Amino acid sequence: MVDFSWVPRSPLEKALVTGAHGARGIEAGVSLTEIRNFDLVQVMARRGKAAELAKAAKARFGVAAPNAPKAILASDATLICSGPDQFFVLSKGGKHTMPTLVPALSGPASLSDQSHARVLISISGARARTILAKLSSIDLHATAFPIGAAAATSMDHTSVTLWRGRDRPDGKAVFNLLVFATFAESLWHTMLDAAAEYGVDISHSEELG
Amino acid sequence: MRIVCPFCGERELGEFTYLGDAKPVRPEAGASEDEVFDYVYLRDNVAGQTSEYWYHGGGCRAWLKVTRNTLTHEISSVEPAAGAGATKVGA
Repeated sequence: MVDFSWVPRSPLEKALVTGAHGARGIEAGVSLTEIRNFDLVQVMARRGKAAELAKAAKARFGVAAPNAPKAILASDATLICSGPDQFFVLSKGGKHTMPTLVPALSGPASLSDQSHARVLISISGARARTILAKLSSIDLHATAFPIGAAAATSMDHTSVTLWRGRDRPDGKAVFNLLVFATFAESLWHTMLDAAAEYGVDISHSEELG
Repeated sequence: MRIVCPFCGERELGEFTYLGDAKPVRPEAGASEDEVFDYVYLRDNVAGQTSEYWYHGGGCRAWLKVTRNTLTHEISSVEPAAGAGATKVGA
């Protein structure tokens, strides 16, 4: 009998090497941080139950769930639009997991645990928009993509969910990106290549931005 | 060409996949062989306004019905195809 170890490991475990990458001798223009150990549940309204789901979500999170490409910050979760009548619940510390959300939302919605199916990457720094512009066709200018704006889009032919989080303490914009675990390493290398000329600061964190 | 997805906003063509003519309507059960042949195989080659299905696979994964002018590529309307986020249609 084989003993299995069920300890969760990041799909970027091998690709992610913390520290400085790319151009040296300059202040890193881009910070790439993998956020680890989060809870992520996808909620999709059952046919014709979108209004009922909106009501149940409001009761559960205290804020209205997004019905447009937006990320809504609730007190202990972020609700991110992932398409029509569907959204992600992103949280930490077991507050919003399948066992706690199913009783509240499974009437009007189908739920699916994506915690270990996606990788969450935070991109920030003075050149964050510049490198994202190499990979994305979305207009990320502050006026077009303010805090809380979200987009289901493609980067390097890979499906991603992108949204703008709260600014860093130094005022720099923060972009969060959810990507399928199996595509994460490939997209990570693409981002490193795109960012290398500006200097990259690579890290991982347990904190949601 | 850019398509204004009713859920995501304006996006580049690369995020979308063309499915085909949205005009043909599936015949009722018991339709004649000619009607079924027409539905499956015969398509108009329109110079002007056409109605097409597009799939926003690079974005929200919704099916869209797009009215487009084949001469100018001008898009006059984009709406969710029946069944795709239907609760939002007209809301």
